[in-house]
Amino acid sequence: MVRLYKKHIPLKNHNNIFLGLIFLLMTVPTQIAHSQQQRFPKPEFQTEYQIPETERPNPRAPFMEYLDLFLLLAVLSLTTWLVLKKRSRKWILWVSVFSLLYFGFYRNGCICSVGSLQNLTLSLFNEGYSVSFTVLAFFVVPLLFALAVGRVFCASACPLGIIQDLVIVKPIKLSPWLQKSLGLFPFIYLGLAVLYAATGTDFIICRFDPFVGIFRMGAEFHMIVLGISFLLIGMFVARPYCRFVCPYGALLKICSLNSKYHLSITPKDCINCKLCKDSCPFDAIDFPTDEKENRASRKDFWKFVFYAALIPVLMFVGGWAVSGSYKLLSSAHPDVYLANLLVSQPELMQNTENLDIETFMSSGKTLEILVEEAKIIQEKFRFGGWFLGAFIGLVIALHLLNQVIFRKRSIYEANRGDCFSCGRCMDYCPVGKPEHPFFKDKPEMVVKS
Amino acid sequence: MLNLDFEQQMNETEKIKRARQIAIIAGVFTAFVGVLLLLNYLQIKKSDPLNSLVLEKLVERLSSEPNNQHFVEEIRQVDLLMRKAYFTSLWQVRTGAYLMLFGAIVLVLSLRVYYSLRFAIDQPSADQIKEKKKRQLTQRWIGFSGALVIILAIMSAFFTMNHLKNYEPKKMLVHSKSDDESIEKVEIVSIRTTEKETDTVIITESTDVEVKQPEVAITQQPKVVVFNEETVKKNHNAFRGSWGNAVSSSTNLPTSWDGATGKNILWKTELPIHGYNSPVIWNEKLFLSSANTSKRVVYCYDRNSGKLLWEREVNNIQGSPATQPKTTEDTGLAAPTLTVDGEKAFAIFGNGDIIAFDLNGNRVWAINLGVPDNHYGHSSSLLTWEKKLFIQYDTHKGSKVMALSTETGKTIWETVRTNEVSWASPILAKIDGKFQLIMLANPNLSGYDITTGKQLWSVDCMSGEVGPSPVYGGGLVYATNEYARMVAVNPKTGEKVWEDNYYLPEVSSPAYHNGYIYIATTFAVVACFEATTGKLLWEFEAKNSFYSSPMIAEGKVWVFDTGGKAYIFESGGESKLISSPELGEKVFSTPVFADGRVYIRGIKHLFCIGVN
Amino acid sequence: MSKLQSRRQFISGCARYSLGLTIAGVIGFSLTNASSQQWLWQIDPFKCTNCGRCATHCVLNPSAVKCVHAYALCGYCDLCGGYLKPGHIARNTAAENQLCPTAAIERKLIEEPYYEYHINEELCIGCAKCVEGCSSFGNGSLHLQIRQNICVNCNECAIARVCPSDAIKRIPADEPYLIKGGFEHGQTL
Repeated sequence: MVRLYKKHIPLKNHNNIFLGLIFLLMTVPTQIAHSQQQRFPKPEFQTEYQIPETERPNPRAPFMEYLDLFLLLAVLSLTTWLVLKKRSRKWILWVSVFSLLYFGFYRNGCICSVGSLQNLTLSLFNEGYSVSFTVLAFFVVPLLFALAVGRVFCASACPLGIIQDLVIVKPIKLSPWLQKSLGLFPFIYLGLAVLYAATGTDFIICRFDPFVGIFRMGAEFHMIVLGISFLLIGMFVARPYCRFVCPYGALLKICSLNSKYHLSITPKDCINCKLCKDSCPFDAIDFPTDEKENRASRKDFWKFVFYAALIPVLMFVGGWAVSGSYKLLSSAHPDVYLANLLVSQPELMQNTENLDIETFMSSGKTLEILVEEAKIIQEKFRFGGWFLGAFIGLVIALHLLNQVIFRKRSIYEANRGDCFSCGRCMDYCPVGKPEHPFFKDKPEMVVKS
Repeated sequence: MLNLDFEQQMNETEKIKRARQIAIIAGVFTAFVGVLLLLNYLQIKKSDPLNSLVLEKLVERLSSEPNNQHFVEEIRQVDLLMRKAYFTSLWQVRTGAYLMLFGAIVLVLSLRVYYSLRFAIDQPSADQIKEKKKRQLTQRWIGFSGALVIILAIMSAFFTMNHLKNYEPKKMLVHSKSDDESIEKVEIVSIRTTEKETDTVIITESTDVEVKQPEVAITQQPKVVVFNEETVKKNHNAFRGSWGNAVSSSTNLPTSWDGATGKNILWKTELPIHGYNSPVIWNEKLFLSSANTSKRVVYCYDRNSGKLLWEREVNNIQGSPATQPKTTEDTGLAAPTLTVDGEKAFAIFGNGDIIAFDLNGNRVWAINLGVPDNHYGHSSSLLTWEKKLFIQYDTHKGSKVMALSTETGKTIWETVRTNEVSWASPILAKIDGKFQLIMLANPNLSGYDITTGKQLWSVDCMSGEVGPSPVYGGGLVYATNEYARMVAVNPKTGEKVWEDNYYLPEVSSPAYHNGYIYIATTFAVVACFEATTGKLLWEFEAKNSFYSSPMIAEGKVWVFDTGGKAYIFESGGESKLISSPELGEKVFSTPVFADGRVYIRGIKHLFCIGVN
Repeated sequence: MSKLQSRRQFISGCARYSLGLTIAGVIGFSLTNASSQQWLWQIDPFKCTNCGRCATHCVLNPSAVKCVHAYALCGYCDLCGGYLKPGHIARNTAAENQLCPTAAIERKLIEEPYYEYHINEELCIGCAKCVEGCSSFGNGSLHLQIRQNICVNCNECAIARVCPSDAIKRIPADEPYLIKGGFEHGQTL
């Protein structure tokens, strides 16, 4: 913007006293102007003119955030009751529509539990920032619910999940190999998000949140495109973001796997009618195991030993590799990026087209200091990279290990990790519904159920 | 369906048909709105109506023909059109987004109905692949994916360059200086013209400036700011001039002026807050500081015009005390003089705050050294050389000398001193081809190595509350203090060459020139001694006492008494008063010289004296 | 209950308690660093370099950043660098003389020769052209602020990320504005 004036300086319009003024003042760098607030003194008005106050429209009242928290708790408790006791898909659906409207379209998707993870991380690593109680609660409450009753948060409180849930029209089944390997990504994303938040670089979860733009009815063009693509894919691959991207989902999954209570497909004992088998759009129903086939062999035992031994190896290799890639990872930090750019191409320092460079040059900060700061950030990435890499290695190894552990199962049940507690499967279960068409030609089964 | 009669089945197919129709309509509608939105986006992106080139061109043309009504009309029309285009597109986007959302909701609902009716799950599918096979496949793919991630990380480790690693600060040139300097040139021209010429002449001058612009563009290459002996000699960059040695290389200085009539006073500007420090100069900029108990400020003036270029309040420094230490009125919180290293100006205040600004007033670094325990107030000025900022920090709670990095403010070295609290400032003297930091306090006069901070020599020779700074000349260091003595010390051997106690200054520091020592005392006497022997050569009774220190410039001795009367003597063994002009304002600080001008800070104003 | 099932339940219980403890630990640890303080985004006008990105990078369109007028600092100049184009031919409200691309600044005569300038925030897009003019040629009373009634308070402010001078910071929600004259330079976070 300074350029605007510089460009206008050799004005052809000479008989203008303004020009003289420009000459006097253009030479003063803009920064200086800030301190000289009273270049022109406040006039002494002859009339009764009162100097108006600058308007300061208020933000949303802070206590409203406690209302958000209250609603979150209410929604989660209600869903818990609907999932465990009432067993009603229809009601869960309506609660989720409410959440979508409130947390999504009304509250514009901020703050959400998914993003709160980064606020918490930042507050732990940055002394200048303290996380507010509500944000902390938004992070913790869904996890505690997951630990108690499974992922009810995903079912009916998370606007990101609900918007995808509502657009499911014809879900296709995904092969386990595809699901499991894509399922690695949320963990990697989680690690990256923590690393970037801890280094104060960026909140990548928020930045690449595909749906928040839809809630706000406006975002950068590519984010809108991404959001719409997710929804289009979501018509056929149910909840793609939740299953293959969401980093908070990864945490919920871990909690939910060990939950105390959980949604069960049948209200009583499973009669193995297989009706629910294809009801889950998320492939989250585990089938009864085939005793003959599903048994750990000697080979599997050695594989287990091998994978277990692989854990430290993968952790080390992962740590080494990711820490080595600190150069790439840290270049997302604007200071590191700028320092790299200016050191590699010093001629750019004269580039007045690039706003960042121009602002840096006129800030009076030397490149030396910038480089020093950038190096400190890089070191953080190199150090943090070890943890991130070890975490990724551990996740890979555990996923492999999980594939050679065989569990006996005699009924159809929800996979506690993958199940979103949406309740669809419950509608398919004939148990407790004697008039269900399934019993038409097998009346003896009714008694059993 | 398991149990549907025919009629119901008809109903079902009807419903399916409806749902499909609605879905198609909603789909087409949504896609249509989407395409419109996309087109709108592309169009706005292509021709940003608020930064319209057409409008800019028109305005440019208008400025060359300001009376052309046709242009004016056209601009107004285009402006209106552009604003309309912008706000209409905003409205379109908002409305379009809502329409699209509506369409999408209908589409999803109808599709759901359609699919749920058509593909209701009634029979479970059969398993095709065996569990074991699935698991094997899964393991393989997890392995692949994991390997992919790790390989990508390793590849990025090997194939991304880290330019920062090879970065050497030496290569780096001080940026943006040239740019500023070129602007300064323009500034001088324009200011002079506005001062001297009428409006019409400005035009020719400004075209002149325009012609000069290409030249300016050439000098916009980065260049190193030269901070060496030559440039320091040219600039009065510290208390008592270059290296604090009371000698200026300036010439063509005026010897007569009158503050009352304004004769030879080129400009004077009021200083809003008081301070006892003297100005310092780097090229066209003059720096000084002021402080009261509520704020501390650094000012930068254009020394040609007296225009305030910037003022910066010194605050928000970590460790800086909330309440200011008590000082006496004749010292205050801004007694120490600033120093400049060509890139940055450094200031220290009586509360221990020390701050560096670049010459454009951007804060570079700031620290607090801890509040100095000093019953009058800290008054030792700053000196800089070889990227180090030297601070003599003699307090009741212990004394030290430190060198801070001029770039970062970090301590490079710090040496503990054993002397009492003092008020003198350090000087730099070239001894055996190497600069030494020389400081005076009670009881010792000592020299320090500037690279390591090691004390090189020390002579116990002083007593009392030491105010005057030492001076170096002719191979000897001269130190003096009221109620004590004046001594000449050979810094190489540490021996006292002579000692005398006839005339002694209290605040004002001595000056050396061509074998003569000059002092100015609180009892209003200027005296000259033979430097090698200490013999009193002449004395001169002035009107008022001296706080300001004598300076040597153009072969003359310049000194201001506290009443604002200046005494200009011919330097030499005989008392030859050239003139004694009046400033008309009390003076406590030391004059500053820069090509043909004398700058002096009075109690209220800053003066620029030169032949006009 | 079979042996197998009880073993499974035991393992799962152990895992649950350790997870619960971890979460409790995270809560406890973060509570040392948590407060009831809520945060909002705001521009430090003294750091702002008027680059114009506020107009283009906000998730809202038009931006939640608006120009505000610190009247107390204004000189009420007739020749206003924030209102008039650098090459203006007359000091009036005509389109060819106005700097603001959306004509959001309203100029009103108070008394000769003083004029009041008022921002119509309905029209303002936060482009900072007037801010640049005012701080270069005037007192700097026009400056940018995030309007908290418009701002949706994104967890990660899209403008803060691209701000070249780091002028956008989280500030405590009980003092939602940094209006010039009301606070000292450098007093912000």
